[in-house]
Amino acid sequence: MSKVRSYAWLAWRAVASHPLRAIRRRGTGEERFLASYAAEGLAPTDLEARTAAELASACIACGLCESGCTLRSAIPAARDLGLHAAFRLCSKSDEMLVHSVDSLAACATCTGCEPLCPTGVPITRLVRLLAARAADLDAPRRAPSGERR
Amino acid sequence: MPGGPRIACDVLVVGGGGAGATAALAAREGGNRVVLVRKAPGSTGLSGGAVSVAQDPACMPETPFAARAGVVESARRIAATRPGHPYRLLRDRLGGLWNAVEFATGQLSAVLEPPTGRNRWLLTPFGHAHAAAACQRSMAAGDLADVRGTLVVCGFEGHLGWDPGLVASGAERVRALGGPSPRAVLLDLFRWEEGALGRPFDLARLLEAPGAAEEAGRVLRRVLARGDAAAVLPPVLGIDPGARVPERIAAEAGIPVAEILSDLPSVPGLRFHRAIEARLAAAGVEVLQGEVRSGAGPDLPAAVGGREVVARSWVLATGRFVGGGIERRGELREGVLGLPVVASEGPFSDPSIRFAARPPASLTLRDSRAPQPLLAAGLRVDEELHPLDAEGRVLHPRIFAAGAVVGGHDPASDGTGMGVAMFTGWLAGRSAAGRDS
Repeated sequence: MSKVRSYAWLAWRAVASHPLRAIRRRGTGEERFLASYAAEGLAPTDLEARTAAELASACIACGLCESGCTLRSAIPAARDLGLHAAFRLCSKSDEMLVHSVDSLAACATCTGCEPLCPTGVPITRLVRLLAARAADLDAPRRAPSGERR
Repeated sequence: MPGGPRIACDVLVVGGGGAGATAALAAREGGNRVVLVRKAPGSTGLSGGAVSVAQDPACMPETPFAARAGVVESARRIAATRPGHPYRLLRDRLGGLWNAVEFATGQLSAVLEPPTGRNRWLLTPFGHAHAAAACQRSMAAGDLADVRGTLVVCGFEGHLGWDPGLVASGAERVRALGGPSPRAVLLDLFRWEEGALGRPFDLARLLEAPGAAEEAGRVLRRVLARGDAAAVLPPVLGIDPGARVPERIAAEAGIPVAEILSDLPSVPGLRFHRAIEARLAAAGVEVLQGEVRSGAGPDLPAAVGGREVVARSWVLATGRFVGGGIERRGELREGVLGLPVVASEGPFSDPSIRFAARPPASLTLRDSRAPQPLLAAGLRVDEELHPLDAEGRVLHPRIFAAGAVVGGHDPASDGTGMGVAMFTGWLAGRSAAGRDS
């Protein structure tokens, strides 16, 4: 009995349900893909982003860069969960990167952190890339009302 | 070559960590011209503050502190039981181990407490007691084998960084071995908005400010009780030892004050790194920032950050994975001279197995307590610390290797990392300067 029901269910999916959904679907394939997977950081990447992610992957999270960051000693608001958390989010998702926009923008790219990195991560270059990416992501949200989030 | 004239020197040291600095300072003692090339703080910047040389491999976990072998005797026992370990290789010269440790700690006495010959027992942030032959000055008063009475283990109220209960549990576990009885307390410091989640370097800077350490001392004094013999605080007691943060807190609290060992990011690590830099400068070692990429060897020019250096002898002290001395590009290899990387013990120590080209997953074992082939990977050297090539021949009579780039020990877990660095660095530096042969 259960076998008959299973086949009936599959037949319904194949003959009616899927084609109906395909008709009702909105957006291009890429948009639908992004809607489903971007939040998990599985969005398609370009060559530059892949290079950046590979460079960032040398990070061993030792935190030595923090000691050379003039931003941290200057702006309390950008501390703690700011720049370095943003950096770690690099490999994760654009959705989360949006929250670091202000910290990334606050970086003066003074390169004080760079000579401190034991594994030679080009931190300033990555921050610039991330900031550009984050600004792109953030732009649509800021534009309509003219104010932040 | 752009960037200035060619530098001709007696000894070129590649790497500025514990081994490289010891080698450069030892070579410099004889008045040689020594150039040290380094690219960044290596694992010294990650140091927790302990100088681990050797702990007794033969004793039981319940052996009291006082009954355990001293540092040198422990190293001899390691040499007897670990076939691939550098101590074993250098067993005929192991008498010099203590000279090397005293030399290196003496050179860095701005931050390091002189060693006593026995291991100190220091608390980690994760609730363990760690044996170390020497430690930073700011940590000496927290030696569990030396505190008589109650040890006050402090955390910061409202701060998520350090859990005094967890730290105290480490002391509780070794109490029967001759340790003090611990008592965990929370100090009401750093509760203002800026400090509530403050990262270690920020807290260390805050405590260096005039009056801040004194205020911390007064807060500590308020929670003290009769019988309290010493207090340990999170390892953020100032970056600059010259700010005398532990001393200022102790003076106000009326009790000896120490830091526990650090995890990452490490304030003691940065302190250690800066002390090395300062000592190298004071001793007249010329430090170049950069990487040796087109390394050829003694008497041949090496390109370093736009300069050319020609040296009579070389000391290779490039570290292992953090320092970048051993890298994986298709296979494990040594980056400066392209020397073969071997496993000195474990299942791949058989020379007929091409260890370096094995797939990465086979280099780590599932049993976390087993020796991990990957973590002990490094160069093979002879008794004079000459690196050997693939056929087992000495590469060059005036190239020496020191520290973690030498294989056979696992600096991360076997408790001999700084001992090997100081010992091989000292030997290599002296040999390179021609003072030892």
